[in-house]
Amino acid sequence: MQIEIDEISKEFGTTAALTPVSLSIPSGALVALLGPSGSGKTTLLRILGGLEFPTAGRVLFDGADATALTVQERRAGFVFQSYALFAHMTVFENIAYGLRARPRTTRPPTAEIARRVTKLLDLIQLPDIGARYPNQLSGGQRQRVALARALAIEPRVLLLDEPFGALDARVRKDLRQGLRDIHDTTGLTTIFVTHDQDEAMELADLVVVMSMGRIEQVGRPQDIRARPASAFVRDFISA
Amino acid sequence: MGQPFVHKSPIPGLGLSAGITLSMLSLMVLLPIAGLLVQGFSAGIPAFLAAVNTPRTWAALFLSFRLSLVAALFNLVFGVVLAWVLVRYRFPFRKLLNAAVDLPFALPTAVAGIALTALYAPNGAFGQIAKDWGFKIAYTQWGILIALIFVGLPFVTRTVQPVIEEIAREVEEASATLGASRAYTLRRVIWPTLAPAALTGFALSLARAVGEYGSVIFIAGNIPLKTEIAPLLIVIKLEEYNEPGAAAIGIAMLGMSFGMLFVINAAQVFSRKRMAYV
Amino acid sequence: MSDISPSRAFRPAATEAPWARITLTIAVVAILAVLLFAPLVTVFYEALREGMGASLATLADPQSHSAIRLTLLVAAFAVPLNAVFGVAAAWFITKYSFRGKAVLITLIDIPFSVSPVVAGLCIVLTFGANSWVGSWLVAQGMPVVFAVPGIVMASMFVTFPFVARELIPVMVEQGRAGEEAALTLGASGWRVFFTVTLPNIRWALLYGVLLCNARAMGEFGAVAVVSGKIRGLTATMPITIEMLYNEYSSVAAFTLAAVLALLALVTLALKTLLEWRYADQLAATHRP
Repeated sequence: MQIEIDEISKEFGTTAALTPVSLSIPSGALVALLGPSGSGKTTLLRILGGLEFPTAGRVLFDGADATALTVQERRAGFVFQSYALFAHMTVFENIAYGLRARPRTTRPPTAEIARRVTKLLDLIQLPDIGARYPNQLSGGQRQRVALARALAIEPRVLLLDEPFGALDARVRKDLRQGLRDIHDTTGLTTIFVTHDQDEAMELADLVVVMSMGRIEQVGRPQDIRARPASAFVRDFISA
Repeated sequence: MGQPFVHKSPIPGLGLSAGITLSMLSLMVLLPIAGLLVQGFSAGIPAFLAAVNTPRTWAALFLSFRLSLVAALFNLVFGVVLAWVLVRYRFPFRKLLNAAVDLPFALPTAVAGIALTALYAPNGAFGQIAKDWGFKIAYTQWGILIALIFVGLPFVTRTVQPVIEEIAREVEEASATLGASRAYTLRRVIWPTLAPAALTGFALSLARAVGEYGSVIFIAGNIPLKTEIAPLLIVIKLEEYNEPGAAAIGIAMLGMSFGMLFVINAAQVFSRKRMAYV
Repeated sequence: MSDISPSRAFRPAATEAPWARITLTIAVVAILAVLLFAPLVTVFYEALREGMGASLATLADPQSHSAIRLTLLVAAFAVPLNAVFGVAAAWFITKYSFRGKAVLITLIDIPFSVSPVVAGLCIVLTFGANSWVGSWLVAQGMPVVFAVPGIVMASMFVTFPFVARELIPVMVEQGRAGEEAALTLGASGWRVFFTVTLPNIRWALLYGVLLCNARAMGEFGAVAVVSGKIRGLTATMPITIEMLYNEYSSVAAFTLAAVLALLALVTLALKTLLEWRYADQLAATHRP
């Protein structure tokens, strides 16, 4: 799904989290929103997911104005920084949640739900943990379950907020490759937020460098490295 | 009461603190309860059972328990909603309202008792309205119910509020991103999180209501077999110098109290195991 | 560049629709007004039914006087004694390691789950004239039941856990490090207590004493059983309220009730103040 961000701005009270930004995201791309804290990257992600409403501007999904769509209608899979798994449900129930929450008319039958959940558990390479509870899982496992849960609803776009932030270095490396693999398998437009420039450069097809509510530069990792558009980008990349 | 095995410690005051604790506990709590048990069973188990097993006693125990259950159920529903409104919504005087919820804890029961009676008696502000509609509240079981709701009001709210405060917004947002309606989220994500605390509050409210005396005896009417609560029956037996009879009912009530305490604790242990947060 | 005119207003994901919020808020406030505020207002309304003058005149009555005096006397004994117990028990439980702490805490909590009437009954059966402890005491000229000591004991029973329950979680959280440090610096036990422990727990202690006092002054069921309701001798304020009410002395009863209601409001205000200023040093704001 192609995403068009058209002059989106966001103010919280008197603070401008996002000055008007525009961005074109090609369908199927793996995009990194890269920047320090306070750069507006998470705000932009949340606006895409429908969790925040922009003060001005539009979001277009495949050319259609999606700005006014509710969160539920948007079908934007979201993986939170804290994973936000449902502690009182098993891994299976977490992943099946989105499918079970659908109104009866669109809900798949139970057997179908089970089949899809099993397939997703295989995709995240954790086929045996369906009966466990989130508090019995490691950080890396929880992250993958959160990913599977978001994928279960067959989203049009996948949004991840600092997906590797809470994990230690070794686990992070494995999961980075895992995300790349899943992206390649599903072909979904995927956007993730990070402050880690190694991560962004290594994983993404397209990197969006942000600072203080503005987009500093957009481009492929090698292009940004070769030709940083400003002093900020140059310093941030080399840091 | 045996001496617990205490590890040696450089902190002084063990003897004094242990001594004060154990002796006061024994004198003020354990001894009186032992006294109750001794007196209740002094004439043997058959006599105890005979004292408890009368229609009047059963009616009183049953009445206390049944009305307390209904009151606690009301408090469960209302208490959860109240807790939600106090934590999640913003409106004028919210902080004042929050403090006021503790009023039933702080207000003496006799004061509540006469106030409620004045309010719901046929010539009272609310009693008048009821009369116009053909109801009678004071001196009936409805009056008792209202009094029991009053005394148990804060329990559910106070146990649930901290849990609501701890709910991470992201979990609710996650549910929405997965396509769930707000109602579904409340039912499948929020309520299960609140349930253990709500049930604890429910049990506390129930336990309090079953033993309540001061708030109820003014509004109750106190007709044996109809509106006579168990604690009143104990008082009556004492006035008749029937100490073993009073003791028997007291032991029955004590048994109910401890039963509920056990359920509360079991529920808390169970919920702690299941819900260790991610 | 376009301005948004969405087809429906944006609502954050983690909240209900505005109509639901408004309806719930109004419903809750209305129910609280009926259940909580109406009785409170009634107390004052009935007390002042014949004017402020008549109301205050009833307080000058010897019966009311002795009721107030007795209530204050009972609290003056019961509250400090329970405070001492609370501090001792909290010290014992939190500064030392031993098995059976959970049992001990459960035992201390027993009065919470006992009906006040049963509490009074226990005191009567154990210390009354028909028990061998009681008959011995009566022989010594120290009757407990139908006398002031019995009322003090009954009040202590029902408020027994209050101070301990406030102190224990706070002292657990504060740990032993402070006391241990003071000891290594050469301080004696009492010095450690007064200069390290007490300052740390003073707000929790005050909070517990506040609740204990409110309950002790307002206790009715337990005292009704124990006191014998002897006018001028063992009739506390709540008991006197009952007696006056049953004699249809409505203004007098409600006036005394209003005094207690004012005490309740002051207690609530102080409680809220403590919770607001010293939240991190109170168990009440910390319950798991």
